[in-house]
Order: sequence, then structure tokens, then C-alpha cells
Amino acid sequence: MGVIDVLNLLVASLLLAGIYTTMSIGMTIIYGVMKIINLAHAGFMMLGAYFVYEVFNRLGVHPILGALLAFPVFFLLGMAVHWLLVRWLPVSDQPTLPSLLLLFGLWLVLQNVGYAAWGNLDRSIYTDMTLATVRLGPLTLSVVQLVVFTVAVISVVLLQFMLTRTWFGRAVRALTQNPFAGQLVGIDTARMSRLSFGLGIAFAGLAGALLASLYSFDPDFGRPFLLRSFVIIVLGGLESFTGVALGALILALVETFSVQFVPAGYQMAISFSLLVVALLVLPGGVASLIERRGRTT
Amino acid sequence: MPEPGAPLLAAENLEIAYGAVQVVWGLSFQVSQGQVVALIGSNGAGKTTTLRAAAGVLPLKGGRLLLAGEDISSLPAHVRVARGLILVPEGRQLWPRMTVEDNLILGAYSPALRPRVGDNLARVYDMFPRLKERRTQLAGTLSGGEQQMLAIGRALMGEPRVLMLDEPSLGLAPRLVEDIFRFVRDIAAQGVTILLVEQNVHYTLEMADYVYVLETGRLALEGPAAELRENDYVRKAYLGA
Repeated sequence: MGVIDVLNLLVASLLLAGIYTTMSIGMTIIYGVMKIINLAHAGFMMLGAYFVYEVFNRLGVHPILGALLAFPVFFLLGMAVHWLLVRWLPVSDQPTLPSLLLLFGLWLVLQNVGYAAWGNLDRSIYTDMTLATVRLGPLTLSVVQLVVFTVAVISVVLLQFMLTRTWFGRAVRALTQNPFAGQLVGIDTARMSRLSFGLGIAFAGLAGALLASLYSFDPDFGRPFLLRSFVIIVLGGLESFTGVALGALILALVETFSVQFVPAGYQMAISFSLLVVALLVLPGGVASLIERRGRTT
Repeated sequence: MPEPGAPLLAAENLEIAYGAVQVVWGLSFQVSQGQVVALIGSNGAGKTTTLRAAAGVLPLKGGRLLLAGEDISSLPAHVRVARGLILVPEGRQLWPRMTVEDNLILGAYSPALRPRVGDNLARVYDMFPRLKERRTQLAGTLSGGEQQMLAIGRALMGEPRVLMLDEPSLGLAPRLVEDIFRFVRDIAAQGVTILLVEQNVHYTLEMADYVYVLETGRLALEGPAAELRENDYVRKAYLGA
């Protein structure tokens, strides 16, 4: 591999890491505030992809604009699902069996709604952006990947800003670290659960909608991405929002570079080896490393 | 407004249970405006349970809680905080991976308090200069005494009318215990009504106006602190005299 090849792979990893972060951070928010593992995440990503597909085909809305529209739409959808189903789950400080069953069941329902509505053929979205490239010195970059990366990064930066500067964001971090203390300072935990679930689903919808511009999709679309999200949030340390971005970068690097040496079909095997290694040597995720460092200085 | 002479906080025949296990039986007590009232008793007497139920994080099985004459028994915890009934819990319960200042700011989470965050922060830093020095540090890196100051400071950010303190001296070195009690006395002197749960009976009887003694979830004895200090039973059972 020459220097240019390595550089190309590094850039490809970075671009991938952006969308991986957006896709995983919704699960982190929901897990943090509610200690629920959102197994239906993949279902909402799939719906996000079809949402963009429909507004593009029927209304001629550009898929990137469609992805931005998906965010508020899926925020409301998430709050509705919370109100209908999720709020009845027992409150707990760790994932419960009923929550896993409910959300796994919800994923299956969403998937089958997808099959009923759109059939099992692969769909994809082509615009004049899809095959366009720009040259940057020795590098050739895909325009659509750059645009998706930009939107993903902006969404994560805005989230980070909200988490550190607003009362809602402070409450999210407070409930993530110690929900009991949150109650003692007057945080309405039921309302925060509803909003956080909405926000998590909004990020799932946004991620699915952005991925629809990069890959073809069918109603089973989110599955490999759900598995990747698991790897990322375990790498990142489950409750750390910075950790998620680092986890996404690590997974993107490993996936991108491993393709050079291992057939692409083994990619998921590599992701999962990473998961096992992370659980064995770094159960707190990369966030625990950062924290340890903060403590010694 | 409460009728004159009515207690600020009143508990009537509280029955509290963890699931099927009842731990408090028919407990009544009153805390008047400006008083320091203490609940004492051995481990498992139901003191922490009583404070948690008053804060609304544990449901009542029976009885009523009145704040300024109004029945708050069915109000959720966050509404009670907004009304000024604030608990400093046993074991501090801070956010270890947030800064000292973020911990304090969250104490003023109730919407009505948010415009006064700056003033209240300055007031708390005046009282605890140590917290000001460490305001950018993560709460998890503080010493035990500093963490207790932070827990009290966070509660003060909520402008409490009734401050409930659960074992503020637990696990602290004797010199720090004195500091913490001095802070509590200062807070009381500012007119904040205090409901205190303590194992350190000696200090408690010196500081409180009125004391309730709990034994296995029932009221065993009550009276002005000055009287209980001379009470033979209390001296034998709690002061080791």
C-alpha cells in the first residue's frame, strides 16, 4: 500500500465514522436516560430510508433535505411510540426483559410493515450527486459521502452543544449518571423519558435517511447497522457521548482497513471480534480511559 | 398561606413499605417554620425511608403529608422540589462525571428558579469557598467532606423552605463532622426550616429544637431536645451514659 492508498483509506474511515456516530448516538441517549436498549432502532432507520425515498419520489424533495425533514418527523413519531408503548414498561436502572421483548417485537412489526408497504425489492435513490466526485490533491472524494458526513457531523455537534448548554441537555446527562439524584433536584423523569426517546428515534430516522443516499435498502435495512451500533456503543462506554464518536471512528478504521486483507464478507466477523475484545479488555469503553486520565491530572 | 401556628411540614400517620415489607408504622411529626427538627433512632428504624417518602421518591402506603397546610401526598417528586421541599440524600448522590459547578446549577433545575441561578450560585460559593476553588473539577474527584458540601450546596440552589438532611455526617472525619454541623446551623440561622436525620445523637440533641425518636418504624419518644438530653432512656440508649 502506498501513502496515497493509506490516505484514501483514512479519509474513507473518517467519512464513515461521521454517519456511524449519528446512527449510534440515538441508542446512547435512550440507554442513558431510560436504561433501555432500543432493539427497534434498526426499524426506525429503515423507516427513515423509506421516508426519504417517498418524499423524493412523490414530492421531488432532495434526499438530503428529506433527511433533515426526517429529524422532526421521527422526533414526533418517537414520542408517540413512547406514549403508546414504552411508558408502560417497568422503570429500572438496568435493561429489563420486558423492555427487550417489547422493542424487539416492535422491530419485527416495523419490518413487516415495511414488507407490506414496499415489498422485498432493493430500492435506491439516484440523484446527480450520487456518482459525482471531487478531487482534492491526490484524493478522490465522493460528493454524496462528503455531504452525508457534513450533515452527520453538524447533527452531532448540535447535540453536544445542547447536552452541555441547555437545561434539557443537563437533565439528560444528570439522568444518565444518576437518575435518583435527578429526581431530587426536580427533574420530571417521565417527561424526560418521552423527550429522550423522541430524540433517540429522531437520530435513528436521520441516520437511516442519510444512509439511503449511500446504499440500497430493503425492509431489513437496519439490521447490519444495529449490530454495528452495538459494537460502537460498547467501544464508547455505553453512556459517554464523546465515547460514541471515538467508538465509531475505531470501528470505521478497522472495517475500512481490514477490507484490504480480509474478504469483505468477513467484515461483520471482524466487527464482532472487536466487540469481544472490547468487552474483555476495556469493559468501560474508551470513555473509561478518558475519565481515568481526567482523574490523574 | 398556612394558618398562623400551623406547621410548615406535617406528617400524619405515615405508613411506608418497600413492596410487601412495611418499615414505617403510623408515624406522625410536625416541623414548624424556622425550627430544626430531628429524627433519631438506630439503623433500620425507618428514618431514611421517611425522608424518601417525604421527598416523593417512595410512595406512601397510608397517611398524609402536608406542606404549609396543603396535602402533597400524591404530588410527584419534581413538584415537591419546586414547592421547596428538598432532600440532601444519604450518600450524597452527586453526578460524579460532571463538574462541581454543573452539579450546583442542576440544583436550580425547577423552571421558576432558573432566572436566579447566578445569584444562588454566588450565595453557595460564599458559604462554601472550597467549592468555588474546585468548581471546574469533576464531582467524583472531591473528598468526602467536599462532596457533602456539594450535596448541601446543590440543595440550597433549590431555595428550600424545608431542607431535609439525611445523615450529613456519615463517613466523615470528626473535624469535618463539626464543619458540616456548623454549616447546618448557619443555614438554619438564615431561616431555612430543617428536618434532620442523624446517627450522631450527641450533636443532634445540641442543635435541634425538637426531636422524634424512632424505633423499628414506630415513634418511641418525642420532645424538645433540651428535655431529651436529660431523659434517662435516651441517655442510656443513644448517648451511652
